Amino acid sequence: MITLAPPVVNALQVLTIAAAAPGISGVISRVETRLQGRRGTRVLQPYYDLAKLFRKETLLPDTASWVFLAAPLAAFTCYLTVPLLIPVLTSYPLPLGYMGDILGGGFVLALGSFLVALAAADSGAPYAQMGSSRAKTFSAITEPTVLLVVFTVALITTTDLPYALARTVRSSADQIVRPAHVLAAAALFMVILAETSRIPVETHTGTNEFGMIDEARSLEHSGPAYALLKWGSAMKQLILYTILADVFLVPWGLASTGRATSVGLAILALLGKAVAIGCVVAVIDNSFAKLRLFKITEFVAAAFLLAVLAVFTLYLGGG
Amino acid sequence: MDPVPGVFEGGANVVAVLVLLAEFAMLRAQLLRTQVRLYAWQSLFVALLAVLVAADQGIPELYVLAALSVALKVVIVPLVVLRLLPDADTDIAGSGRFGVASAVLLAIGVAAFGLFVINSLHFAKSSLPTTALALAGAVVLVAFVLMIVRSDVVSQAIGFYSLENGVSLAGLVVAARLPLIVEVAFLFDLLVAVVVFGVLMKIHHSRTASLSTATLTRLRG
Repeated sequence: MITLAPPVVNALQVLTIAAAAPGISGVISRVETRLQGRRGTRVLQPYYDLAKLFRKETLLPDTASWVFLAAPLAAFTCYLTVPLLIPVLTSYPLPLGYMGDILGGGFVLALGSFLVALAAADSGAPYAQMGSSRAKTFSAITEPTVLLVVFTVALITTTDLPYALARTVRSSADQIVRPAHVLAAAALFMVILAETSRIPVETHTGTNEFGMIDEARSLEHSGPAYALLKWGSAMKQLILYTILADVFLVPWGLASTGRATSVGLAILALLGKAVAIGCVVAVIDNSFAKLRLFKITEFVAAAFLLAVLAVFTLYLGGG
Repeated sequence: MDPVPGVFEGGANVVAVLVLLAEFAMLRAQLLRTQVRLYAWQSLFVALLAVLVAADQGIPELYVLAALSVALKVVIVPLVVLRLLPDADTDIAGSGRFGVASAVLLAIGVAAFGLFVINSLHFAKSSLPTTALALAGAVVLVAFVLMIVRSDVVSQAIGFYSLENGVSLAGLVVAARLPLIVEVAFLFDLLVAVVVFGVLMKIHHSRTASLSTATLTRLRG
């Protein structure tokens, strides 16, 4: 039986996320179109799109500086870093897992989206700038929500390592039904809907620039840089799904040893969980209307309320 | 850190949190129908808690109470309110004095006050975790916020009814073994309130042709 060394598993975590992310996006859009009674694109279509974009030339706006060029690469690097910090495949912490806590992972994710917004602002194009300003406006409310979710985790486990929460959740049914856990997971799910630009915040497939938030930021990019941005946002989505599934909702099916078979099974389990969350997201995408721009604050304020109540119930001793 | 509550306490707390969340949702309801439905859901959660307590503590009267309150608060009251205002404009959006997000933030502050003040009380023996009592206090205070910030008759009446939900939640925690006759008397109190508020809503709507209380300011003279 082959046993994989911890650094190899660590590298596998990053590779799994990077390789599977476009596929998960493909599955979601396929499910979504099937639910609408349309045939839809192939599941592998995002990979073809990326391959096509990598072959295209890069065109730059006149006003763009080096920031515009560097940002997609830097953001992509951020998204490659986060899978090292969170439980993707293993239930035990890997060597680089203690490099940063859940807050560190959140900061690296936020840095990635900040860099993309910076590049959009640098492009000088009105729609891209509008998108970047909107994205930052709403993340001003989603970030505190994420912080409160992290506080909840910290209060439950007395540490803020994602591995510790996953272990706590696995430990007994008491941990799953406690209101703090339910509320924090619900708040995180709402934040994920907002951060991955899904309904009710944003139409994922829309072409109307006035409704765009996150999508508008990459309008000025082209060629390999655009491919990196698209790939990066798919990775961000899969990373957030992984955190939701492997830390909050279903931290089962992870490898407890470095054996090749159990790691392989963990990869399959992760894909299964991500597809399941993706199906839920697709159903939400099809069942609700996009909120008007000024109503989005209500949506993120609701997520904030859930996170606040999670912390409150913990302090009351009943959470 | 306090010990982790068991599955029963955790589940009961989740239901109590749902009661509070329904109260928060009333702050942003846009339609007459939504507001009434939210009240029905909230009452259903309170009845569910009554069933949980009845099963856990072995108090058969509470099943009767739960059944009665489902019949009254989930079926009859919503029907009566909707029947009384058949030709009313269904839109109660924009009756808030602040934006929804600000109202929610204000309510979070008020709820936090209620939660922590009531949580500092200690009961030697209660049928539900004391967190549920603190949440009940928060429900009552948020119901006050709802009645203060929204200037339409439906939200104010529903705010009053849901305040009663908060009080019955508190009653479940502190005095689950109250004689059935007293509990039923409370329910009939609510029925009186429903009739009075229903008539007031009906008259207000027939006189001003709107659900808004804004026109009432003219009465000041």
